[in-house]
Amino acid sequence: MFHFQSFEDDCTLEEEGLVEEEDEIDQFNDDTFGAGAIDDDWQEEHARLAELDEQVRDGVHGAGDASSVDLPLAGGNAHSSALPQPSSSSRLYPDTDERGGGDLAESLTRLILGSDPAIAGVGTARSDRSHLPPMLSGQAPQPSALAGQSSLLLSYQQQQQLMRRGPAPLPQINSHSIWENSMGFSPVSSGLVTQKEDKTLMSIIKEVGLPNRPPALSREEGRDLSERVPPPRSSSPVIGSPPVRAVPIGTPPKQPMSQVHNHQNNHPSAIHVRASVPLRYPPPFPERLSPNNLLSIANSPLSHPPFPAGVGPVLSQIQRAQLLNSQIGQFPRGPAPPLLQGGVGGFRPFFGPSGPRMGPHGPPLGHAPIRHNTTHLHPQHRRMLNQRMQNRGLGDHVGGRGVGDRRNRDPYSNLMTQREKEWVARIQMMQLQSTDPYLDDYYYQNYYEKMEKRQERDRDNRKEHTTKLITPQVAKLEHTYRPVQFAGSLGKLTVSSVNNPRKMIDAVVTTSSNDEEKREKQVWNKRRQILYTVEKMYSLLLEVQDFEKKFLQTPEHQRDALLEQHKTHTLQLYNSLREKEWDDRVSDEQCLMIMSVRKGKRLISRLLPFLPQPQAAAVVMGIARNLPALAKKDKQDQVLCWLVEPVTVVVQSMSSTSLTDLLQELQGSEGQLPLVLQNKFGVTLLYLILSEGERMQSSDPNCQLMDDNRWTELVFSVTRELLKVPSSALSSPLFTPPNLVSLFSRYVDRQRLELLQEKLQITALSR
Amino acid sequence: MLFYSFFKSLVGKDVVVELKNDLSICGTLHSVDQYLNIKMTDISVTDPEKYPHMLSVKNCFIRGSVVRYVQLPADEVDTQLLQDAARKEAMQQKQ
Repeated sequence: MFHFQSFEDDCTLEEEGLVEEEDEIDQFNDDTFGAGAIDDDWQEEHARLAELDEQVRDGVHGAGDASSVDLPLAGGNAHSSALPQPSSSSRLYPDTDERGGGDLAESLTRLILGSDPAIAGVGTARSDRSHLPPMLSGQAPQPSALAGQSSLLLSYQQQQQLMRRGPAPLPQINSHSIWENSMGFSPVSSGLVTQKEDKTLMSIIKEVGLPNRPPALSREEGRDLSERVPPPRSSSPVIGSPPVRAVPIGTPPKQPMSQVHNHQNNHPSAIHVRASVPLRYPPPFPERLSPNNLLSIANSPLSHPPFPAGVGPVLSQIQRAQLLNSQIGQFPRGPAPPLLQGGVGGFRPFFGPSGPRMGPHGPPLGHAPIRHNTTHLHPQHRRMLNQRMQNRGLGDHVGGRGVGDRRNRDPYSNLMTQREKEWVARIQMMQLQSTDPYLDDYYYQNYYEKMEKRQERDRDNRKEHTTKLITPQVAKLEHTYRPVQFAGSLGKLTVSSVNNPRKMIDAVVTTSSNDEEKREKQVWNKRRQILYTVEKMYSLLLEVQDFEKKFLQTPEHQRDALLEQHKTHTLQLYNSLREKEWDDRVSDEQCLMIMSVRKGKRLISRLLPFLPQPQAAAVVMGIARNLPALAKKDKQDQVLCWLVEPVTVVVQSMSSTSLTDLLQELQGSEGQLPLVLQNKFGVTLLYLILSEGERMQSSDPNCQLMDDNRWTELVFSVTRELLKVPSSALSSPLFTPPNLVSLFSRYVDRQRLELLQEKLQITALSR
Repeated sequence: MLFYSFFKSLVGKDVVVELKNDLSICGTLHSVDQYLNIKMTDISVTDPEKYPHMLSVKNCFIRGSVVRYVQLPADEVDTQLLQDAARKEAMQQKQ
């Protein structure tokens, strides 16, 4: 695809070989294995080019003899020893190589690959490379012919390698990131440069050396290493996602280094520098900003001949950190020791910005037991945590102090500065910004709301106000991705990425038809159908539940519409319980079906409070009617009692006629009542009805309950039944209303009353 | 974000995390993130004899992908609410 005009005919590039034999990739083709391969060893070719490059540079700069001498050697050795770093030796001057030729390739890559964010990652470094800072242009103009030649000869792939491997000498030009620009290390480094007088340091550096230091550095004194940051990303780091609109997460914060340097000036001899700074690969994160590597960087501008690679660091990272720690560690310790010593054993500083949520940071809660955590917690939650910490802190206080001392010499601290830690944490937290915190964080918010309500209830509204959790919300952005298209072209690009996926498999679902299986399926299907219905009702129920919240949030003019919607939902819920649209009665079948599943019972119990009175009453009547069947089905689950609470509410708001009706339903046909009495819920329901009737009678003398004899008759039959039924068949209710005795006293004589009392174990205290 | 939200409500509670390498760590849940990485404080290994190298460790960070189970205190979990949250998430996904 990317044909380069080769000045040398026999230059076998991988790309060329592939291009010629696109149709059938013959793995044993001549070019790779046969005559073509032998003829032109690309390694040799490369080495030759490297020499060419060197000569070019020597001609241009006229300095850096040692480097140029070394490099061809390295290049020469390259092909004999399986090429450790093929591109590094000659690719130390990537800027010159790319400057001249490869424009066609460049523009094409940028055009095609740059527009699809999913695959653009490769191209960006390149495009930024073309805007080189003025410093580099201080070099004499390159002999463009040769440079162009060499670059043209490079295959596309090699150029990619090159891009990745070369140093990144670009300043963070467009970083209006969350951190300030980290340019301008010059004042700092100049301060350190004075250290080069120190013999110890120099000797160590000479010994160990800084291999592969690009000689360009030594020539350009004006350049600071602070600008060696990775080029700003113009595409999202996540493959396949739309381009990052937010600020590019580029450089980390600039490190205020003054305190570090003061200390180092005092003890220069004790500091051993890690010799080899891996600038071959642009560091993903700037280790140089930590105290450790700053030294190495600062010392690198010192002119010294490059040494062969392969020498390990003088000290390990940990040892270095230890040394530095002992000197530097005292500085940021101001706020730290109280943190370490106080409170819970184990809140180390590096736990600090862990798991925070985007938004206002929680206020640092005073002194010792600080939960060094910026999580956006519900105030109730935070209170609980602090309580817990204080309890523990009081206990551990002595132990903590001892441990804290030991921790002051923690070898693993200060590898990252506080700002760096916060920076990393903020990157993580940016991902947690949500457009709808109520939905995204549903569980947490509702859990603590419920807890608040519970506490309020328990403490009888002692609190003046309930604390609320306010989560910041990010506006939702519409990302519409359109795959790149060329105007007037006949075809479409076949680049498939996450944003525009391509159909790969044509999968068709086939169901096997087997008679036996069908029968089995039918059984399962029925159950599945019930569950499906229940789930659908649940989603409606959730909508209804959220209505209040939504109502408060919507503006005035939209409230009517919302209200209408709410009514529709509720109606729909009720309708699903009814079989026929015109029949106001709750369909027994449907109701039974739903209640046969545990989930269904739960659903009904949550549904009842939301239904309007007549409908709720109808539901309760349906339940009463079918109680024996329900009780039978509930034997395994025993969860009918969930219904008690909502049913209580309904019963207490019923009219007298409906109450009578309910009692009648409960009694139903012959033999229903004993069954009812056997079930806990049944008994409870019965008691509820009776007590409600009693309340009505006693409170309102003109109550209609006594208008017809139904109520009286029903109560009579109930009492008869209660007396008849053996004690063993009578299950105890969940609770016994206190006014039952007064109720019974109206209808039965003393003897029977006493019997009843004994049987039902209702005391006469309520009298 | 469902389980991130869920674990956030458990921050500060004592849990036992069983890892895929069969190590069980008991401790207080300090924090959790969107990958369900877990930070715990005051940890103790449930059978310390088998893992003596953990004797001195007080806090740990556990990558979310290596967790097999998290044993929770039952009374700190509201299963109904969790079910509702899952239903809401499913509804959201459908839209």
